[in-house]
Amino acid sequence: MVQSKKQRNLFLAFCLVPTFLMFSVFTLYPLFNGLYYSFFEWSGASSLAEFVGFDNYKRLLNDDIIPLTILHDYFLVVTKVIGIMILATFFAVALTQMKIKEAPFYRIVFFFPNIMSVVVIGILWMFIYNPSLGLVNSGLEFIGLESWTRPWLGSEDWALPSLVLPSVWAGIGLFMLMLMGGISNISKSYYEAAEIDGATEWQQFWKVTLPLIWPQIKISILYIIITTLNGSFIIVQVMTKGGPNNSTHVMGSYLYEQAFVKYNFGYGATIGVMILVLSLITVLIMQFFMRREKVEY
Amino acid sequence: MKRKGGFFSRSFVRIPLIIWSLAVLYPIVWMILGAFKSNAEIYSNPWGMPESFNFSNFVDAWTNYNIDISVFNSLIVTGLGALLTLAMAIPTSYALERMRFRGNRLLFTLYISAMMIPMVLGWIPLFFLLMQLNLLDNIFGLAIVYAVSQLPFSIFVLTSFMATIPKSLEEAASIDGMSPYGILWKIITPLSTTGIITVTIMNMIQFWNEYFMALIFLQSEENYTLALAIDYISNETQYTNAWGTLFASLVIAIVPVIILYAIFQRRIVKGMTEGAIKG
Repeated sequence: MVQSKKQRNLFLAFCLVPTFLMFSVFTLYPLFNGLYYSFFEWSGASSLAEFVGFDNYKRLLNDDIIPLTILHDYFLVVTKVIGIMILATFFAVALTQMKIKEAPFYRIVFFFPNIMSVVVIGILWMFIYNPSLGLVNSGLEFIGLESWTRPWLGSEDWALPSLVLPSVWAGIGLFMLMLMGGISNISKSYYEAAEIDGATEWQQFWKVTLPLIWPQIKISILYIIITTLNGSFIIVQVMTKGGPNNSTHVMGSYLYEQAFVKYNFGYGATIGVMILVLSLITVLIMQFFMRREKVEY
Repeated sequence: MKRKGGFFSRSFVRIPLIIWSLAVLYPIVWMILGAFKSNAEIYSNPWGMPESFNFSNFVDAWTNYNIDISVFNSLIVTGLGALLTLAMAIPTSYALERMRFRGNRLLFTLYISAMMIPMVLGWIPLFFLLMQLNLLDNIFGLAIVYAVSQLPFSIFVLTSFMATIPKSLEEAASIDGMSPYGILWKIITPLSTTGIITVTIMNMIQFWNEYFMALIFLQSEENYTLALAIDYISNETQYTNAWGTLFASLVIAIVPVIILYAIFQRRIVKGMTEGAIKG
């Protein structure tokens, strides 16, 4: 190259430094600062921040709502993983292997909720669950199950499970497409060989399709876990705001309430540290459990 | 070959497919229809067709609920955020992908791993940082925060896209005496157009839809983005029961996304699945 070393370094700095500065100021610094805040009692006015050591962490351990929020988050993780993966796998197999003419239509329709705003999804489903006008209750009445109707989002027992359906509804398309990508890469010859050996379609699914799309399944599950732990509070905030009686609070929505509604910024930061630690641990554990030798035939 | 093709097994599989299509389409179509219904009609016939299409709900949302201001704010935040992201991501992606320097891998890993970190923790300090910079309750401040938040994803997609551009072009340009700035601006950027468009569409949808950061970082109604305005109307609706207005504002929020999806369906799908397959 005909450029001097100095010019090269100048160009490198031009490419990297401004971006990295912005990234440091608006991403790295806030994350580390959040860690620092978690050792302070602070209601927002800058002069009144008081160093309290591990008091916020002690408070975290003694807060009765915290175990509930963790439980609710993992309830959503587990139900979403199961619901999305079963349906997405079924749809992916059906659309790739069944030679259905209108498959592109289903692909386009199923994916669309993935790019809808959580606000729109949440409000739409609030109306679907509406006790008097909503589709769920009118549907139940229509088929004669009036005793099953209830104020879904207003019931302490049913509000949290009611949040699963919108999340599955909004998430399926993306994972279906990821699995379809995996399935379309499987060579036809495996199925032909399995056919000759007399394998039923069900056996082909378990012995050929599933092992060969394991990488995609693994990534999908990890992705659902990460996005749920890092983002489930958004739909909670839109649909229930953590209520009724804290029965739908997840870690993120509790953080929001503590920090930005009750102005306990130090304690909010402590909850944030907990979210960070828990989601990192969860991802590491899942990666350990789901490592599985790559299948090659 | 008779494999997987029996008429009956295919029809059997179609039932769940059709049911799920209805489950996806019906609420969306119904929301759009509801936007044209009067309030009385919504109560008497919530799930049917409107008797006549009238736009009074849209007028109400537009004039009485300040949706016009929110649409404007959302457009600014979305456009500015997307431009800022590109301005930051393109040079960095080029350097990370094409230039050898110490710490290259480390820097790349740092950006990419930020995609996995829950940012909630950072939002509390960010709130005070924006306050000190006079950018709190400010749509330009929000646009900056949005742009930085999409940096990791954008760098991830752009670097993998730039890796497919043949090196010989840059070498030839360099021998002809073109400066590295010229190469970046006149060769790499035009050749990355496909990747840039994909990233930009994804970012724009993300910014247009975003709710939670806007909730934290914006406070006064005249700065509300569309997502906040809709949430506000939705909370009001519990008392006013102005469902039609709420639906009209939801339709206003969703129509641009539908249009983008109709035009760029393949790119959006590709961008999102690739963004997810990073592990």
